[in-house]
Amino acid sequence: MPKIVIDDKELDFNQGQTIIQIAEENGIDIPHFCWHECLSVSGNCRMCLVEVEKIPKLVIACSTIAADGMVVHTQSEKTVKARSAVMEFLLINHPLDCPICDEAGECKLQQYAYSHSVGESRFTEEKNHKKKRVPLGPYVMFDAERCISCSRCIRFCDEIAGEKQLTFVQRGDKVTIVTAPGKQLDNPYSLNVTDICPVGALTNRDFRFKSRVWDMSSTKSICSGCSRGCNIEVWVRNNEILRLTPRHNAEVNSYWMCDNGRLNTFKHVNAENRVDGPYLKREGNLIKTGWDEAIAFAVSELKSFGKDEIAFIGSAFATCEDNYIFAKFAKSAWSAKNIDFLRHVKPGESDKLLVMEDKSPNALGAQLAGIQPGKGGLNFEGIIHAIKEGKIKALYLLEDDLAAIKPEYESALKKLELLIVHSSNFNKTTDIADLILPASTYAEKHGTFVNFDGRVQRIRSAVTTEDFDRSLDGFEQSRLDKFGSPFDKWSSPKKMDARSSWRIIAAMYSALGHKIKHTMSQEVFDEISETIPEFQGLNYSVIGDTGAKIKLKSAETKSIKV
Amino acid sequence: MERIVLPDIKDLHLIDVYIQNGGYQAVKKAYAMSTDDVIAEVKKSGLRGRGGAAFATGLKWSFMPKTTDKPKYLCVNGDESEPGSFKDRQIFEFNPHQLLEGVLIACYAIQAKAAYIYIRGEYAKWVKLLQKALDDAYDKGFVGEKMKETLGSQFSCDIFIHKGAGAYICGEESALMNSIEGKRAYPRVKPPFPASNGLWGNPTTINNIETITNVPAIINKGAEWFSKIGEPKHPGTILCGVSGHVNKPGVYEIPTGTLLTDVIYKLAGGVPGDKKIKCVIPGGSSMPPLRGDQLEGVKMDADSLKAIGSGIGTAGVIVMDEDTNLVKVLARISKFYHHESCGQCTPCREGAGWLQKVLERIAAGNGVSSDLDLLISIASNIEGNTVCALGEAAAWPVRFMVTKFRQEFETYVKADVSIPVPNKVHSMRATEFPVADIKL
Ligand SMILES: Cc1cc2nc3c(=O)[nH]c(=O)nc-3n(C[C@H](O)[C@H](O)[C@H](O)COP(=O)(O)O)c2cc1C
Ligand code: SF4
Ligand code: SF4
Ligand code: SF4
Repeated sequence: MPKIVIDDKELDFNQGQTIIQIAEENGIDIPHFCWHECLSVSGNCRMCLVEVEKIPKLVIACSTIAADGMVVHTQSEKTVKARSAVMEFLLINHPLDCPICDEAGECKLQQYAYSHSVGESRFTEEKNHKKKRVPLGPYVMFDAERCISCSRCIRFCDEIAGEKQLTFVQRGDKVTIVTAPGKQLDNPYSLNVTDICPVGALTNRDFRFKSRVWDMSSTKSICSGCSRGCNIEVWVRNNEILRLTPRHNAEVNSYWMCDNGRLNTFKHVNAENRVDGPYLKREGNLIKTGWDEAIAFAVSELKSFGKDEIAFIGSAFATCEDNYIFAKFAKSAWSAKNIDFLRHVKPGESDKLLVMEDKSPNALGAQLAGIQPGKGGLNFEGIIHAIKEGKIKALYLLEDDLAAIKPEYESALKKLELLIVHSSNFNKTTDIADLILPASTYAEKHGTFVNFDGRVQRIRSAVTTEDFDRSLDGFEQSRLDKFGSPFDKWSSPKKMDARSSWRIIAAMYSALGHKIKHTMSQEVFDEISETIPEFQGLNYSVIGDTGAKIKLKSAETKSIKV
Repeated sequence: MERIVLPDIKDLHLIDVYIQNGGYQAVKKAYAMSTDDVIAEVKKSGLRGRGGAAFATGLKWSFMPKTTDKPKYLCVNGDESEPGSFKDRQIFEFNPHQLLEGVLIACYAIQAKAAYIYIRGEYAKWVKLLQKALDDAYDKGFVGEKMKETLGSQFSCDIFIHKGAGAYICGEESALMNSIEGKRAYPRVKPPFPASNGLWGNPTTINNIETITNVPAIINKGAEWFSKIGEPKHPGTILCGVSGHVNKPGVYEIPTGTLLTDVIYKLAGGVPGDKKIKCVIPGGSSMPPLRGDQLEGVKMDADSLKAIGSGIGTAGVIVMDEDTNLVKVLARISKFYHHESCGQCTPCREGAGWLQKVLERIAAGNGVSSDLDLLISIASNIEGNTVCALGEAAAWPVRFMVTKFRQEFETYVKADVSIPVPNKVHSMRATEFPVADIKL
């Protein structure tokens, strides 16, 4: 294997790799703005200039192909000087926006100004001025003065989103970004440019000016928008989600997520129409009630039906843990066979990059966790049919707004004598329900989703509820930052009275006299991995931050694709 | 002296006149040779590029891959936008067919199926003139499919004229290729070099207009003959565009190695009013200037000019007499490079503008003495750190002008008066760990 020496470290590399790639792989940081692992090499920022022995000029590490025996210095006097020169150049016309710039705190230019700049500028002239607020598309705002012309956004559109929507115009220090004639920055992945823009030139119009980044906590989670299961960070301040950003996972979503997932999968968490505590329907009116009452009500009502008169519908939006406990409860406490869940597949609504036809995060997980009809039991359509025929009179429904999907389902639900629903928000289905149990959203609990590809991934609690799994993950306590301001994740939170579905069901289980030993979702998962062969050998630490593949039998993959 | 590129023949731009004077014979001769022999002949002649870098032409051609499935291309660079340079224009006007014949020979040598002649947008008139010549050459069957018949050869090629839209950067070879491809004229990061990865990713050679125009003569009269003209290491003639404070500005074809003083005093008729010369830029505005007292004995060829710290560039000789205000000259030159920087890479995009701003401030009488070192420091921070050589083109005039004429610049900047610094607020405190001393 060929070898290269970078800063006195001898490293193996593969033929064709560039210096920066080798450095990156080996944990050596070569500062850069325009280079991005997933984009073509542009070589314009000149920040990654390094010294290579026997080459008189400095070379850029992003485009220089390594050769056997090459000796590279990234900290020599010459490179340090060149870097600080580039920083000085970048800053001379850069506006003094940091105090009002959304990027501050996660800005490459700001960070490098501390680590690679001399701290003082010799520039005493008038700065150039450019446009400050240019909407490039529905979600992205452009500030031309902050742009450092790195071309990442252009390359992202051309190469990743596959739509040529952005381009440079003008020359020299007048260069700026515009949308191509007759175009807008409106591809389904447009907001990713706000993540890869190294400065605050491109900002998310949905998030702009909502919070300083250091006032938020970020929690690793999974997008619930489709069965891809893009890895994300959930950003919270004052117990309110302010934005989602993609989190790198080479096996799932690379550095990206779609705009729909980013914008439309968290607002229900903060919404006004949250179900805050259990509700019972008495004489047509919804009445808030206590947990014990609600659970006693559910148990006694369910008992009044014959076992063939009850159906259980799980959820592709709930976690494996929720579905597992639900299935177990249905089967062992009620000897139920009529168990299934609805698949939210929208044929044709997928693309080549990430978006999947299955618009739920956990269909495979629900199925594997046991949400399948028992022998001789009814499947989803069968259950609906039986409700219409009056054969099934009671339905226990987990986290799914069936009534909103089709009028047919809505009218079927209305025929029921008993409808128990777990739901995070009031919706068409809760309107019909006799008992509404407030379910935590994916952002308020721990658990796992299995994506289309059979990868188990963890969601984590980013927002606290009255009932919160605090013991896990050390509760990511508030702490003071260097400037004395708190990461006030929980400082004065508005807390929802909601619980993970599995906990609600576990309470009912106990009410029936069964012993439930689990106190944490982690323990539920451990039981899953002990009892369901596909999950064998897995636990939360094995799954970790980037997930783990389950052992899929091919038949299952097929059945899930339906 | 014999003129090779611009012979003194009336109406030579007309195809019939060109043919009567032996035109389109060299191409026949070349096509009877093997491609290797043509390249060898050009190598042996010692012809070096006239586009600025004086790179050996035959050697450049030999970089073209021989075994490749990809189409190959020739680009002929007539972007001619360097201030002080206006020589290729004469070829379009007075000897276009020799250029076209040179293109045919070069295409054959490197086995290119097509050649693009890139002409700056401002040369609209000369684009028309060359187009006329090209149309005539097509009509007579010297270019395109018909040439197989006319010249009795297996080989044929097409020639296209591509008009630029008015940007100096389009003369940089990789920007030129992007421009032909219909892209923004951003220079490409090299390597890969054009011979492996040029136009549309295919092997490409780029040569200057004047370079190519020399080729038919070399084939006709032999490498031997050519190599004996002028300076042995940089043989042939060069078109020397003289401008500035001379009595007879214009383009002169001179053997390389001609004394610069002969160019100025004998050919260009000396300085009006017999004034002294303060400064000469010998190779177009991007080349380092010479002081008036440095001119004695300086020869016009790549190596001699390099030896005294300048360069032949495009042999655009700019003469400035003793009354010239060099601060204003430099401010104007800097304005040009600032205006023409493509804006792709940081040091040139930001630095070129900074240089101009400082120089204009000095020219307006608001300079301070530290500005001179600042200028030199900015220039050296650009040099060597950019994507293309426009960075150097912007930096060199500043660095060398300020260094060589330091006294004149000193008189312009005041002693250490402190100027107001309204924009200096983005300075940070210069502590090693800027946040370490903040109390929690
Ligand atoms: C900024 C810049 C502008 C240039 N402009 C021209 C030009 O107008 N004409 C030209 O022939 N070469 C120009 N060059 C040089 C070309 O890149 C290239 O070296 C030349 O065309 C090669 O031809 P030659 O080998 O025949 O000299 C320029 C180079 C730079 C960096
Ligand atoms: S907007 Fe951002 S990503 Fe795009 S070129 Fe400017 S700095 Fe780079
Ligand atoms: S592709 Fe799917 S999982 Fe990824 S962000 Fe979009 S909706 Fe979410
Ligand atoms: S050096 Fe100047 S002209 Fe050349 S690529 Fe960089 S910015 Fe463009």
